[in-house]
Amino acid sequence: MAIRGVNAFDVAQAQFDKVAAMLDLDPATRELLRQPMREYSFAVPVRMDDGAVRIFRGFRVQHNDARGPAKGGIRFHPQETLDTVRALAMWMTWKCAVVDIPLGGGKGGVICDPHHLSEREQEGICRGWVRQLARNVGPVSDVPAPDVMTSGKHMLWMLDEFEAIHGGHYPGFITGKPVGAGGSQGRTEATGYGVVYTIREALKQLGLRPDQTRASVQGFGNVAQYAIRLYREIGGTVTCVSSWDNEAQQAVSFRKGEGIDPDELVGVTDRFGGIDQAKARDLGYEILPGDAWLEQPVEILIPSALENQLDGDNAPRVKPTVKLIAEGANGPTTPDADKVFAERGILLIPDFLANAGGVTCSYYEQVQSNMNMYWPKDEVLGRLDLTMTAAYHAVAELAQRRKLALRDAAYVISISRVAQACHERGWV
Amino acid sequence: MGALPRFARRFFDEQERLFQIGGGSIGGKAAGLARGSALVARRGEEIAAAGLAVDVPSLVVLGSDFFDRFVESNGLEPLLEEGASDRRIAEAFHRATIPGDLVGDLRSLAELVRQPLAVRSSSRLEDALGEPFAGVYRTKMIPGNAPDAGARFAALLEAVKFVWASTWFAGARAYLAATGHRGEREQMAVIVQEVVGRRHGDRFYPDVSGVARSWNFYPTGGARPEEGVIALALGLGKTIVDGGVCWSLSPARPRLAPPFASARERVDGTQSRFWAVWVGPPPPHDPMTEVEFLVEAGLAEAEADGALDAIASTYDPASDRIWPGLGRQGPRVIDFAPILVDRSLPLVPTVTALLAACEEELGGPVEIEFALSLPPRRPSRFGLLQMRPLLVSAERVEVGERQLVEPGVVVASVEALGNGRRELRDVVFVDPERFEARATRAIALEIETLNRGLLEAGRDCLLIGFGRWGSADPWLGIPVRWDQISSARVLVEAALPGMSPEPSQGSHFFHNLSSFGVFYLNVPAADRAGVDWEYLRAQPEIAATEHVRHVRAARPLAAEVDGRARRGRVYRREVSS
Repeated sequence: MAIRGVNAFDVAQAQFDKVAAMLDLDPATRELLRQPMREYSFAVPVRMDDGAVRIFRGFRVQHNDARGPAKGGIRFHPQETLDTVRALAMWMTWKCAVVDIPLGGGKGGVICDPHHLSEREQEGICRGWVRQLARNVGPVSDVPAPDVMTSGKHMLWMLDEFEAIHGGHYPGFITGKPVGAGGSQGRTEATGYGVVYTIREALKQLGLRPDQTRASVQGFGNVAQYAIRLYREIGGTVTCVSSWDNEAQQAVSFRKGEGIDPDELVGVTDRFGGIDQAKARDLGYEILPGDAWLEQPVEILIPSALENQLDGDNAPRVKPTVKLIAEGANGPTTPDADKVFAERGILLIPDFLANAGGVTCSYYEQVQSNMNMYWPKDEVLGRLDLTMTAAYHAVAELAQRRKLALRDAAYVISISRVAQACHERGWV
Repeated sequence: MGALPRFARRFFDEQERLFQIGGGSIGGKAAGLARGSALVARRGEEIAAAGLAVDVPSLVVLGSDFFDRFVESNGLEPLLEEGASDRRIAEAFHRATIPGDLVGDLRSLAELVRQPLAVRSSSRLEDALGEPFAGVYRTKMIPGNAPDAGARFAALLEAVKFVWASTWFAGARAYLAATGHRGEREQMAVIVQEVVGRRHGDRFYPDVSGVARSWNFYPTGGARPEEGVIALALGLGKTIVDGGVCWSLSPARPRLAPPFASARERVDGTQSRFWAVWVGPPPPHDPMTEVEFLVEAGLAEAEADGALDAIASTYDPASDRIWPGLGRQGPRVIDFAPILVDRSLPLVPTVTALLAACEEELGGPVEIEFALSLPPRRPSRFGLLQMRPLLVSAERVEVGERQLVEPGVVVASVEALGNGRRELRDVVFVDPERFEARATRAIALEIETLNRGLLEAGRDCLLIGFGRWGSADPWLGIPVRWDQISSARVLVEAALPGMSPEPSQGSHFFHNLSSFGVFYLNVPAADRAGVDWEYLRAQPEIAATEHVRHVRAARPLAAEVDGRARRGRVYRREVSS
């Protein structure tokens, strides 16, 4: 979804305009949905460890909350811009709508680089961010979550500040909390598992049995690892995986023809998700260039690392064996590559459907937090499977009926659901 | 992947009724049902022509891979290795998590079904030809009527985990060891099947449950073994398979009642309690109990439910007679007279036709389980719940009446079951001078101890006790489980005055008996032949407990059973020939 080098919000609006035209949306609805409902841009003063006060810039964008409280992460990134946050907030609206959970779309961020901030300084940013927004976010209006360079500990600082301001316990204010501190079982697995639930259903549609397929995966972070695990559980074989080598400052692919073993690889992976090349070689893995993952003779590609990884230049290198691409990452495929894959008849499960397992589980976390009663993992994953499966089939059925790519069909479903909610509320 | 169509998240489907979740084996019970279902599809009209339409109730099988992956992903293996207690195993399984790719199918099942479900084991060894595991693993019924899908899902998962856990329970482990499968891994599948029945207030149960065998191990009166036998009970089939009181009949002579001495005895000797699935307000949460959602009720409740109209008679104390139906005041008697005598429902012809078709299908004697629902003003429903082969020995053995009274005969019976010859030296017997009906539970444990010693020594035994072996009612006999007497190769059921002379009818117990080829010799107290206690007491003692003795004969004893004449004896070879 996020596009490097171009204005992400322009891209998001262009995508929306295309589908709005297909849906023949009325001008007011188009105008409402192509802009965020609300935006907050504010200063976050923080006293640093050296005693000086530094002012950070914070944002929160609530793109649309017609279907429910806004939902979206908080990013800590030095290159954060309001337009990036706007685009990501809009994509959250569509993502929540495509899996039919009663939430809207939001996103937040702070321009900062946590690599150069102490824990105490990061805590100061978290608390400062909440102080600025405490009356504009909350369990019934806007529910933040971890995102780029934020984690469960940041969420607990923010929750603590929110509860201090409002004088009560509101675990439903924020998601991504650690299990035992208001978090949900299954959250760690949810995004990767969600990707595989959609793959499983797509394979049925393609008439392929999972045990007849191989996959190549870009990335070895949380999403990729759990996607690999579940894909293997349903019978598939992952022959190649790539990861970022922090020392060499480049990506590297690791190949094993008979199938990689995620547990074995996790054993030689550093805390940044980088796989140790020498140790992997000792385990029998071939070491290949970073983009070798995309030219493997497999049936499935699962890009689960960064945006813009499959573009017009490298798409032709994708092998003819590939029948399915599932976007575990946000925006890994450029529109040019989309065209190439469509011409070759490759089925592509779009990011905001394939990786919606994460937000779906966040929704479950919020539900549990609001009830202050927590489900066992079976309950969470059982619901997740049904939600993802139902969402995939709704999109696939529309795509088939109207001869659309899955991405367009998913947009049509999302945007029409949000537009309908706006109409029914009498907004437009 | 599996033997059945993959569960496509539909349950009550017109085309398909049997589905599978997860790969691997579907186990003996599910394989039997799959064959039964195919048989019904092929010959259903022919069977229905005999009276009732037969169907196999919708079911989903969780393949054995599902169990293996559950065990592996939750790291449960050490529990088996260290021989943990049943409770610990059940608790560990209860806390464990279902594999992520399969949990959605179970969730979907819970969302689709809003009626009682039976969760039963279907293992590779259980119910397979020659492998009588029936009754070793647990079964759980769940009401499936909670308004919240999450609550239904939770109850389903708990039941599945409990049945899985029972694979590793001490009884099952002992059974595996006793049957020469020690160290072998069981491939455990689980069947989730709709329960056939009707709701009556807070209870849900079938009007009639039945077990029918095409070969009768216990022919009484003028019945012949090849005529087969049908056991019927009100409510869930648990009554029959647990060896409770039920009504037995020969399909060839359905009007012939079991040999009760008097009408009064018939009242006392027929079913007075029945099992139902509890569908009322949720009972206390107790996921590690088999009967969490089961309830036992009496005939008054069944009558109030309208469930006795087609199956009961009434005892008239004044005339000491039993009258079919409920037209009079008096104790009700579950003798199925309206069906069997008045033929108000073509149940027996249907079972007969079905048994014949199943025999042809399996190429030999069979046992089936079924349930019948009789809703008023709507068609009856006959559900086939199980179909499995029975083993009947073909060896030609002749035991004449004279041979029963020859010198050197230690045990003689004119109600013997099995067929063939064997030798043994070890005898475990309940001492008739120390036996007390109220001590049968303790006796069962004493026998278990002695049995363990025999197993460890790799020895078989002749086991002699009083009353019904494997009785669910401790006042009617010794309530042993099969694994507690698994070293017995010859089983003698002697009677003392005051104990029921009726031989055991526990379905699973006797399925095991026949499948292991264990000889069974029933010795009623009044029988002219009996047990030579003096001889037994004189043999060298190996071990003894409060009520039970284990002796080893100086020379081998020979046992033989003539299956056709139903005569059997154990004798001293050096004295008799």
